Amino acid sequence: MSATMDGLAGVLERVANTSSRKRKVGLLAEWMRGLGEADLVRAVRFLSGEPVAGAGDRKLSVGHAVVREAAVAVTGVSVEMFRMCHREVGDSSETVGLLREGGAAGVEVRLEEAEQAYLRLFQERRTARKVELLVGELGRMRPLAVKYFLKVITGNFRVGLQKKLVEEALAKATGRAGEEVKGASNRSGDLGLVARAARRGELAEVEAKLFHPLEFMLAKPLDEVGDVGEAGQWLVEDKYDGIRSQVHFEQGKVRIYTRGLEDTTAAFPELVEEFERVGGRGVVDGEVLAWRDERALNFTVLQQRLARKKVDAGVRESVPVVFVAYDLLYRDGELLLDRAIGERRGRLEEMGLRVSPQRRLGAVGEIEELFAAARGRGNEGLLLKREGSVYQAGKRSGDWLKVKRAYGTLDVVVTAAEQGSGRRATMLSDYTFAVRQGERFVNVGKAYSGLTDEEIRELTKVFRGIARERYGRVTVVEPRVVLEVAFDGVQKSPRHKSGYALRFPRIVRWRRDKSAEEADGIERVEELYARSLA
Amino acid sequence: MELQYSREGIYVAAIDLWLDPQNSQGAAWISHAHSDHARHYSRTVIGTGISLELYRMRWPAKEEWGQELRVLEYGEEMEWRGARLRCIPAGHILGAAQLLIEYGGERLVYTGDIKKKAPLCGRETEVVECDHLIVESTFGLPVYRFLTREQAREEIAGFARECLEEGATPVFLGYPLGRGQEIVGALTGAGIRTAVHGAIAKYIPVYERAGVEFGDWEPYEARDLKGKALVVVPGMRRQLEATGVDVRVAYVSGWARVANARLRAGAEKLIAYSDHAGYDELLELVEGTKARRVDVVHGYTEVFAGILRERGIEAEAPAGARGRASEEEAE
Ligand SMILES: [Zn+2]
Repeated sequence: MSATMDGLAGVLERVANTSSRKRKVGLLAEWMRGLGEADLVRAVRFLSGEPVAGAGDRKLSVGHAVVREAAVAVTGVSVEMFRMCHREVGDSSETVGLLREGGAAGVEVRLEEAEQAYLRLFQERRTARKVELLVGELGRMRPLAVKYFLKVITGNFRVGLQKKLVEEALAKATGRAGEEVKGASNRSGDLGLVARAARRGELAEVEAKLFHPLEFMLAKPLDEVGDVGEAGQWLVEDKYDGIRSQVHFEQGKVRIYTRGLEDTTAAFPELVEEFERVGGRGVVDGEVLAWRDERALNFTVLQQRLARKKVDAGVRESVPVVFVAYDLLYRDGELLLDRAIGERRGRLEEMGLRVSPQRRLGAVGEIEELFAAARGRGNEGLLLKREGSVYQAGKRSGDWLKVKRAYGTLDVVVTAAEQGSGRRATMLSDYTFAVRQGERFVNVGKAYSGLTDEEIRELTKVFRGIARERYGRVTVVEPRVVLEVAFDGVQKSPRHKSGYALRFPRIVRWRRDKSAEEADGIERVEELYARSLA
Repeated sequence: MELQYSREGIYVAAIDLWLDPQNSQGAAWISHAHSDHARHYSRTVIGTGISLELYRMRWPAKEEWGQELRVLEYGEEMEWRGARLRCIPAGHILGAAQLLIEYGGERLVYTGDIKKKAPLCGRETEVVECDHLIVESTFGLPVYRFLTREQAREEIAGFARECLEEGATPVFLGYPLGRGQEIVGALTGAGIRTAVHGAIAKYIPVYERAGVEFGDWEPYEARDLKGKALVVVPGMRRQLEATGVDVRVAYVSGWARVANARLRAGAEKLIAYSDHAGYDELLELVEGTKARRVDVVHGYTEVFAGILRERGIEAEAPAGARGRASEEEAE
């Protein structure tokens, strides 16, 4: 019997409704076990967000606009209504699935049929035809299948956690060791291929494949300098504030992938030119940085570069970028993940790329000084890498430690609270907050979430008790409640009286222990801003 | 009939009657005993016997205050200042009722909180024709569609059984009045050993007197959490998780229709059952009343009024009616 999209959707819904990782893996494995080889490969491809075999790095190109247009046609709601529902639900695939329940019951769809549908969507270049195709598929499927059919396209499954779950389930379903499956998956980056090999018992034969981004190794934050233990085992590099990237190259073909496994090649033609000159094949881990006078520029400068659709000579001139390499993962047919860091580094240095300077840590006491020096060079902090360690793809490992001050947190005072929407319509869930300026409080930002429902409910009561005035959905409150907010930067802003705005503020916690007098002052904001320019 | 909407509630001036006012007035109709509807000490309070009993438990009063409680049961009528009032089941929670006011040749229905599908406890909603309807729209968006009571029963009992078989403790979060008792009924009805938190248990006798049958249940005790399902109030989730017992939390609510409720409620299992009407039910209800004019008073008022207008019904979201301060019962 062939497997269906409905079966897949049913099991994924059960997986979502349980929090235990073990049960999630168990449920998925149990379902996979009953599949024939072809269906197993299909299912695993779907789950890894690559439903079309051999598509390589070419995308399915079914963006949010296409999904929305098809959804509106299938469900009969207006674009406006769809937007509203989407805002409430927070996920477009789920929104379409939920709305689709208002229509015809639909029929079962086999995985094979779904695969053909993905293929047709992939091959079709005209957007209008894509929409038509999608309308046909969504209209005939059952609502729950609709939700998961779309999740495959919208990239919901391309997150790391999900991938590990699929690998574990695959191992369990085929009776192979988890490490074997994971290893093959890391080498090839192609879970469909791995699924077939796992079924056949040929995992050892799965080879490394270029142009499939590997998972990145990540660093753990170092909280206390004293935690590093013996100094001599650590190699120290600067931690850059750029775009962590992986460059794959093979005789003139070059691809640059980010940690989100996105392809940013087109944005950086000068890097492509640089790697075109490197001989052989390879995968290099490093950082893309905006660069001038031998130092990195602010991340916001690099962002301007990313925002440009066309990269012409003028852009290259005004925002020059470089790639600073710090690890080598693959070279001329050899996967180097399991080699010691010293060997990887040695071979990297032979390639003639710009390499991140590295030195051995002499004494624990040096860390502070090195950190200050790195900050002085405009970098984010330090990375400590353990001598002799291997490259643990996809792991946040204790073999890499990052020394990085959070850009900052501030204790701020709430000055106004806004009514939420939907389920939070009866609560005051969005807060404008301020810092002290003499006797007054001046606003520096607004944040939406970060607190639990219970806390929001409690705060709502507090705010109603200290309300001063109401303007529609906004309640101005007495400045009493102190929140700790974290943020990614400070920028000038004419919107706020303070003249500054925090970038991406998020609420860390409610400081019940603090009174408004103990909140941070404008001086601290100014200081942080000045530092960001240095 | 002219209606005055304000943050204090809905006032029917012609007959000097308030509908679910937010503070004490002369005379008030209470649609049901949730605290965002019955929170005042009005002089005269009209409602079903059950609503009034629950209201008195939640808002005790001394006799010398001279408050007058007037019972109007389902199907009964009474004369009121030149109008005829009639009480109609609303299905929301035990005792919940709609009010039909006939005055000057016009029929006005106020739904209060309402559910159209049959509830787990209490009487099913009746739809009555009227000229003018005041309806809520807590779930007036087309993504909200809910399980039937049979499906909900199955999901509740199924989750509890699965947890217990695996040695875990199923925990159901329910508001003290309404959802809590419904879950207890579903669990005990399926023969599952169930412990009930006091805030929920204290209303069970009222349900029993109203003819709702529960199987055996025991009072919740913090030192004994294993081998049974727990029905507790939402605020207790963290406390239970901190005990180290393998608790698995289910969230039974209309909001559980959407996956992001999992994070917000801190639950792993979502059961989309509500004591409010889902989108289709609301439309069915409004159309069933054949009302020519509809006021939408709670939830997605603007949106839902817009949807009704598209269907050719004269509908609006009266400005003063919104922003009702809801308490713990967001549902
Ligand atoms: Zn209610």
